[in-house]
Amino acid sequence: MVYGKLSGDKEYVRRFSAYRIIEHIALIALFAALAATGLSQKFYALGVSQSLIAVLGGIDSVRFLHHLAGALFTALVAQHVLLNFWGIVYRQWEPSMLVNFNDFVDALHNVRYYIGIADRPAVRARYNYKEKFIYWLILLGGIQMIVTGFILWFPVAATKYFPGQFIPASKVVHTNEAMLIFLLVAIWHIYDSMFSPDVFPLDKSIFIGYSEKKRFERRLAEPENEAGAKNRELQRR
Amino acid sequence: MSDTPAKLFFMEKDDKIEAGVLGEGLLFSAVGSRYRLSQRGDGVRAAKCILYVVFIFCLVLHARPSYAQERAAGEEKRQCLRCHSEKNSVKKFPDGDFVSTYVDSVALDKSVHRSLPCTACHVDFSALSHPDRAFRNKLQYRIRESHGCRHCHTDRVIRSRAIHEALFKKEGSGEAVICTDCHSAHAVARITGGNVSTSEDNYCLRCHAFENRMRFRNGEFRSIRVDVAEFRDSPHRNVGCSDCHFGFSAQEHPDRRFSSERTYRLSSAEICKRCHFDKYSKISESIHYSMLNSGRLDAPTCIDCHGSHAVLSLSRSRLSVVQKCKACHSGIYEIYARSVHGSALFKENNKDVPICIDCHSSHSIKDPSSSEFHDYIPDLCSKCHSNAAIMGKYGLSVDVVKSYLADFHGVTLGLYRKEAQKRYRADRPMAVCTDCHGTHGITNVSGADLLTIKKNLRKRCHTCHTNATENFPDAWLSHYKPSLRVAPLVFIVEEFYKLMMPLMVIGLLFQVFLDIWRYFASR
Repeated sequence: MVYGKLSGDKEYVRRFSAYRIIEHIALIALFAALAATGLSQKFYALGVSQSLIAVLGGIDSVRFLHHLAGALFTALVAQHVLLNFWGIVYRQWEPSMLVNFNDFVDALHNVRYYIGIADRPAVRARYNYKEKFIYWLILLGGIQMIVTGFILWFPVAATKYFPGQFIPASKVVHTNEAMLIFLLVAIWHIYDSMFSPDVFPLDKSIFIGYSEKKRFERRLAEPENEAGAKNRELQRR
Repeated sequence: MSDTPAKLFFMEKDDKIEAGVLGEGLLFSAVGSRYRLSQRGDGVRAAKCILYVVFIFCLVLHARPSYAQERAAGEEKRQCLRCHSEKNSVKKFPDGDFVSTYVDSVALDKSVHRSLPCTACHVDFSALSHPDRAFRNKLQYRIRESHGCRHCHTDRVIRSRAIHEALFKKEGSGEAVICTDCHSAHAVARITGGNVSTSEDNYCLRCHAFENRMRFRNGEFRSIRVDVAEFRDSPHRNVGCSDCHFGFSAQEHPDRRFSSERTYRLSSAEICKRCHFDKYSKISESIHYSMLNSGRLDAPTCIDCHGSHAVLSLSRSRLSVVQKCKACHSGIYEIYARSVHGSALFKENNKDVPICIDCHSSHSIKDPSSSEFHDYIPDLCSKCHSNAAIMGKYGLSVDVVKSYLADFHGVTLGLYRKEAQKRYRADRPMAVCTDCHGTHGITNVSGADLLTIKKNLRKRCHTCHTNATENFPDAWLSHYKPSLRVAPLVFIVEEFYKLMMPLMVIGLLFQVFLDIWRYFASR
């Protein structure tokens, strides 16, 4: 972990690099664009959807914007996967998002915490199991959306390689998965980074790159575990 | 003679009414007086009674001026008819048109105006003056003469009959209303039972019941015989000849010339709008009317479908409607006759199957090649195919329209239609029912084998999806709901998400709740 001072007396902990900040902002923009243009198509009968479709210039124009945002999202996901794969394999980047044994231990510990057996929740220094869970759900769900999205975008081309039934099936996956991811973000991610008592009113770290040391102290005070020690070892090099 | 005869007449008429009222009042007072007199001496009473009776007798005599009036009118009429009984005499107009000045004295004597002197209506004329009036044309003459009626028949009285209300509206908008168009001139008859010119029909039929021919400028002929039996059976049996044949009456028979039979029929069709204006306004939006406007004289008008004297209400027989359309659209008729709908109509006289007008409407027929018409085809089909009562008879599903509307094409079409009401115009057509099932030649799907359907469907897909592969038609589940038998993959995915979605939402909300609760509990 890198310690530093941004301004004033508060001490900060460096959490995200500029690259991750830009990546996240791009993701927010594309997620919003895809959700707005996609959900208005899913719930086309609602008045608000129809108003949005009218404002954006008709259903054909909404579909064009959805395809455009989808293509950019595909690029974003592709660079993320390729770059991280390259970094981890060839540049010894810390594979901090990989799920490991401790995550299951933490999850079990948290069950005990929530039913009142344990006093404190599981704490993990860099990314806890909840953060990893949402990351993987969004990444894998996103890839699923990309695949089904392209099938729906080019149905004739898709039926050259797949049976015709793949198209309605893709539609079912695309529309339901979209809803799933949307609810996941709307319920869990927004809670975790905005309304959770730990971070309320907003966990700014993903935008400024730093976390307040005071707020992060609980995580830092945690005793080292095996994987964490290894990670830190890797980071020092 | 300073007063004109007309004025004199009105004064006499008014006098009569006053005298009548006065006489009646006196009669009552005479009865009253006699009662009071009985209290006095008998001699005086008798004398006074005689005096009253004589006085009343004088009044009653005076109250019958029609004697004198009729005598005066008769004298005048004789004088006028000396010239106006001449059958060949006409009044000519600058445009070459003319009106007969002949007055049928027999008809006049039978008319309700028989007691009126000629000058009561023809106010410009008198025994001493016969001005030579100039008119631009016959219409102007007729309008002017019609004004005479309004002197006695005030607007208030005319308005008391609802039938005249439309005429007042017409007059209000600047059009001329001529009383004699309906009531005829000298032979004006009492209007009873709504039948204006019963006698007129018989008059016309004296010639038109027999085979006669009308000649057109291009050499064509046309019979002008009226089939009386047919006419008496038609819904117009109580309508007089001149109600439709505007400008014709027992007195007038203008000699109109038409370039061809078609132009004659087109002009005759214009007659109908005088009463059936609602239908006319619908027709004015139709493709037939716009064809006519663009110079296609063969476009059908009212009488081409409904006939003329034997006018037909087409709602009576669905088969006859189809036959009417066949006259021009024989190619489509052949295709329709072979279709599932057409064959049911012809073989079983099935009342449920659609005929031409059920989809195309009867009067406001839209251009079927227009995108507006195309986009509303699902509405047309759903009139029957969403109706459980009709579909139940034939074991057909009512979900076909619903499944179409929920799919890509249906959703897009619905949005296109909404946009069309605003400012956007869709730049591509969306497949509707007929694009897959065909239009007039719709066949029964359940009878055909699956391979043929798929092959045909692929052809249909090709119209828009030019590179459609063999697998492509399977992307459409043929209106079926996904199930393990029909579309197992779609069904399994659907069921998976049906289970996953609530599980995840409940799980997440539970997690949030626990998180908050434990945070505060452990502080």
